[in-house]
Amino acid sequence: MMSGEFIAFMGIALVAVIGGVLLLNLSNVMHMMVALVFTFVSIAGIYVLLSAEFVAAVQILIYAGAITIIMLFGIMLTRHEDTSEAPGSSWRKFAVFLGVLGFAAVLYFGIYNLDLPQMENTLHEKNTMQIGEALYSKFVIPFELTSVLLLVALIGSIMLAKKDDEKEGDKE
Amino acid sequence: MMEELLHSSPGLVNFGIFFLLGTVLLLVVLGFVTYAILAERKVLGFMQNRMGPNQLGGKWGLLQTAADVLKLLLKEDTIPKLADKPLFIIAPVIAFAPSFMVLATIPFTDKLQFADIGVGLLYYIAISGLTTIGAVTAGWASNNKYALLGGMRAAAQMISYEIPLVMSVLGIILLSGSLNLNDIVAAQADTAWFIFLQPVAFFVFLIAATAELTRVPFDLVEAESELIAGFHVEYSGFRWAFFMLSEYVYLFAMSALVTILFFGGWLPLPFLGFIPGAIWFALKFSMVVFIFIWFRATFPRLRADHLMEFGWKVLVPIALANIFLTALGKELFEYFF
Repeated sequence: MMSGEFIAFMGIALVAVIGGVLLLNLSNVMHMMVALVFTFVSIAGIYVLLSAEFVAAVQILIYAGAITIIMLFGIMLTRHEDTSEAPGSSWRKFAVFLGVLGFAAVLYFGIYNLDLPQMENTLHEKNTMQIGEALYSKFVIPFELTSVLLLVALIGSIMLAKKDDEKEGDKE
Repeated sequence: MMEELLHSSPGLVNFGIFFLLGTVLLLVVLGFVTYAILAERKVLGFMQNRMGPNQLGGKWGLLQTAADVLKLLLKEDTIPKLADKPLFIIAPVIAFAPSFMVLATIPFTDKLQFADIGVGLLYYIAISGLTTIGAVTAGWASNNKYALLGGMRAAAQMISYEIPLVMSVLGIILLSGSLNLNDIVAAQADTAWFIFLQPVAFFVFLIAATAELTRVPFDLVEAESELIAGFHVEYSGFRWAFFMLSEYVYLFAMSALVTILFFGGWLPLPFLGFIPGAIWFALKFSMVVFIFIWFRATFPRLRADHLMEFGWKVLVPIALANIFLTALGKELFEYFF
């Protein structure tokens, strides 16, 4: 049982969980972001263990690199002195506890009865090429729809930014 | 030798061997950094018609950097009273660790490589992006307005120049059909060095790489005349040394990457194949490092808004056009021949 893969998985999973717990428990937003980076990077490590190296590299590039930086920007440009709000009433705490318990039960039974058939896979060979072929042959319509969605989001953000400019211009 | 090691079964002995090899690589890189700093000062000196370091270690100042490092290690380690202490301490680590991690995937010769990753090129670009977080964290944790401005500039610059950097190499990926750095060199052995097949990509990549390294003319991050030194104003002693070290390790890694992507890595020139690949790699690598130092001596710094405009309105469209033309050219070539 103590194979190298097991040790690696335990180490990575531990860092991921610790990062997540720290994210919830720290009060300073900047500290939370650094904890989040650790979680993102260790999730990429788990992808590598599952021989999905392309997804791992993209996980680091997009999540740990770009998204974290954008969130940091957001935090710095707003009130970064803020800390978390004090917890609410005891009744609310109880309700949250029930919710957590229910979620845990659902997940437990869901995973316990899950039976994934062992499949032969060749993910470790030419991982990127396999993703590309699947994406551009089998899933080409969802892929194109996603790109249209992203384009709409892009145009929307440009419109929002433009409006801000005009207002500032009016003031002057 | 490395090939066998990478395919052997894991065990404590192998762990020991890899640990030792990693240490050796670290020492080699430290040696490079020591003399790269000296070379930079010497070349800058000659280009500006002065001597450069010439006192310590003979006529060429060979021990100058060693003395500088010793000074840094003996310096008092100051942490500002109002700084965010945990982040202030962890920021140099976040900035340095990725710079050494990227070296794992770089093939120095056909036999000497630490990890043969299928997505090697993407791995390099992804991991190097993590350093930005270190810079932003350092800038924020210092609790200093210049440091914060430097950190913001670092984030903005690195995010915007990562896009042309990635898009310029897409042409190479199209031609070689792989993200693996070994395969990219092998593709150049079959055809020609990619600097001849992809000259536009080379220029875009070189400019974006200079910006990613935050070297002159894109050193707005640490612009000493406007921001004192950017995100590491408040750092001193060995913590500052770590930022400096990561900058020069990235110079090493980026020059090695340019050598592999555009100059055929360890491939020899025609008729000169009797010279070993390691020497070819070292020669091309030194030339690329020299180009980066040359840039530093000859270009004035860009203004912040010009920098952003140049990245988004010039480099990105050129890189996009290059991808389009490369794909078109490849299809036409395959159609007719």
